[in-house]
Amino acid sequence: MSGKMVTRCFASALALFIAASVLCGIVYPWAVTGLSAIAFPYQATGSIIEVDGVKYGSELVGQPFKSDTHLWGRPTVVDASSFSDAEGQPLLWYSPENLSPASDEFAARVDERIQQVRAAHPDRAAQPVPSDLVTVSGSGFDPHISPAAADYQVERIAAATGRPEREVRAIIAQCTEYPLLGIIGEARVNVLKVNLMLDGVLE
Amino acid sequence: MSAIAGSEFLQAGVLVALVVACALPLSGYLVDVMEGRPLLIRRALGPLERSACRLVGVREDDGMDWRRFLASALAFTAVSFIGLFTLLICQGALPWNPERFPGLALDTAFNMTASFVTNTNWQPIAGETNLSYFSQAVGLAVQNFLSPAVGIAVAFALLRGLASSDGGKLGNFFVDVVRAVLYVLLPLSLVLALVGVWQGSPQTFQGYEMVQLLEPVSVDAEGALVDADDPTAVQEVTEAVVPLGPQSSQVAIKQLGTNGGGFNGANSASALENPTPLTNLLQCAAMPLIPFALIFAFGRMVGDRRQSRALMTVVLAILAAGLFSVIAAETAATPQLSADGAVYLGALDQSAGNMEGKECRIGVGESAAWTALTSATSNGSANASIEAMTPIGTLVPLALIGLGEVVGGGVGTGLVGLLGFAVLAVFVASLMIGRSPEYLGKKLGPAEMRMAVVIVVAPALAILLAASVLVMSPASAAAVGTPAPFGFTELLYAATSAGGNNGSGLSGLSSNTPLINVVLGVEMLFARLAPLAAALVLAGNLAQLKVQATGAVGLSTSGALFAVLLLVIIVLIGALSLLPAFALGPLAEQFMGAF
Repeated sequence: MSGKMVTRCFASALALFIAASVLCGIVYPWAVTGLSAIAFPYQATGSIIEVDGVKYGSELVGQPFKSDTHLWGRPTVVDASSFSDAEGQPLLWYSPENLSPASDEFAARVDERIQQVRAAHPDRAAQPVPSDLVTVSGSGFDPHISPAAADYQVERIAAATGRPEREVRAIIAQCTEYPLLGIIGEARVNVLKVNLMLDGVLE
Repeated sequence: MSAIAGSEFLQAGVLVALVVACALPLSGYLVDVMEGRPLLIRRALGPLERSACRLVGVREDDGMDWRRFLASALAFTAVSFIGLFTLLICQGALPWNPERFPGLALDTAFNMTASFVTNTNWQPIAGETNLSYFSQAVGLAVQNFLSPAVGIAVAFALLRGLASSDGGKLGNFFVDVVRAVLYVLLPLSLVLALVGVWQGSPQTFQGYEMVQLLEPVSVDAEGALVDADDPTAVQEVTEAVVPLGPQSSQVAIKQLGTNGGGFNGANSASALENPTPLTNLLQCAAMPLIPFALIFAFGRMVGDRRQSRALMTVVLAILAAGLFSVIAAETAATPQLSADGAVYLGALDQSAGNMEGKECRIGVGESAAWTALTSATSNGSANASIEAMTPIGTLVPLALIGLGEVVGGGVGTGLVGLLGFAVLAVFVASLMIGRSPEYLGKKLGPAEMRMAVVIVVAPALAILLAASVLVMSPASAAAVGTPAPFGFTELLYAATSAGGNNGSGLSGLSSNTPLINVVLGVEMLFARLAPLAAALVLAGNLAQLKVQATGAVGLSTSGALFAVLLLVIIVLIGALSLLPAFALGPLAEQFMGAF
């Protein structure tokens, strides 16, 4: 193949690379952004729950909870070093645990979490702990827990908040989403929404 | 098999059946588009196609022989490489960077560039903490379109070589890439991206959000969570960050193009990338869609759809075994998690099995199914932590990647890998029955066999060489997150993922070190380009070969007998090359746990 042919190949390659960068790298994402801004503005900007000017979090990002008056979510591994605000104050972010569930270290951590959960829920001493309360999720910031894990905490929350159990259950039910068509995915409870309702921030 | 694993397996079966049902019509569309036949969509997008071709300086009827096709593919890869590498190291000076991330280190940029240009999408660093929106959208996402488009172009060159018998041309590389992007990848991505945003995935060019924590937390000097009155507490954190960006548009092509590189480090386990069961279902189905359609396109191109059916049977058989094993292992969980019955692992109001590393909205079964599909198709995305899977749950994706890109594989490269094995199987079968090897009516000679062997062996060779280099280097010991044998598995998985152009990883490995970056970068380039070149040489040779009158003498390559033979050869080659290494890692771990 001649040198001229090779030069032509590279010229075509460069032209195609630039054209594709414009079409797939600029036009495509901006087109999706534009359409989303019109059709789904809430979702496109992070599903942020904002009440009276205060941003309480994203529906899709879990937060660490350990107060007796709140529903607890999945255990988290926090990262306070990756992000900071304009004044240099750290911002919370998360990472997964990355432990093999067949390792001794994992067994030790599960044991520790079982003790913590057991100690806070004496009413449920006879019942095994739902698995999602003692395992870290794949993202590290799972916004949900299972209905079993939410139910496990009802008595504790009722006692600490002074609300009747029936009311706590009603709030949990209101924040529960069900599998698509009854079979795809899992039933799950949005932890942040439950806690904002328990605090009276959300109706 | 437990009842839970059974019902999860049934669900996975329905998913795969749906994908096959969609891939069938898509294959007809693919052939029409790539062969330039008149279509309704051409009336709308035809002007764009023509002006793109004019800009690039190519004509549809300017067919290339294998040399020009290969030179074009290599030139395009080289230009993409230089473009992306420059963009990543200059990130700090480029726009769309609200978080003001600086340029990447040279070794990291080299690895990332090799990774995205080769359709691997191995990521040594997390996107949300290191990459600007410009690097994501104009850098990585553009390669997410172009690398599968190159795969489709090369696959069609091979199909044209198989279908032609008069030394016909293999098509025009640049026209093929334009058509694959314009008619296949962009429209499908647009739909998937919009559904993603509707379901909750962010799509914006604004900076990250800051939100008030409902319960402020205290952290110690290492950044770990401690009680507020704990003496080691050094700081109270009252706010959290919500990473945003043009996520949904990128996630769509990441799934469709068998790319796999997430916008976020957590990939599709993050609710920002994969917010609901519906997005999970669609993203899961998107992984095998185009690879399966290309297998059906093969039958249409050679005018005998039974040929595709034989290959598809083999693919589905291996996939079923993979799906079954991961689902069974993950729903069974581990004794360490069960803690003598203190932890409830049943299915009442929760997902049964190993929830470590898995998300509540997705559950154990669909995470296991995704893991089998992402490794079979060379995608590499994840909706759960593979590191946090049971030993068998880690071994299966390792094995599916190690078999080579055959079970769907990457877009385009999967079909090439599968046809490489088919040629090898024809050769072996012909030796057994004492006839001269013949595939689709073409007599195969030593030249064709050599190329098939390169396609089949190059990835395994790359994996073993890279794994040896990593294991022998003292620097690797510091990078592994768990001691042996699991530490060995982490390194082996990295080498396998890079050699299979997959990109998934065991995230306990701190892979952003100069040694690992460079070794894996070189490995990815070799494992992509060697089979690609061999496929084009093979295509050129096949195009010269006359189709013989196929009589009863030739071996049928569309029957059950051939399918079984092909299956045996794929498993045999995979096992012979990689089993010893696997035995030292995940198998050792499984048995250590048992005693």
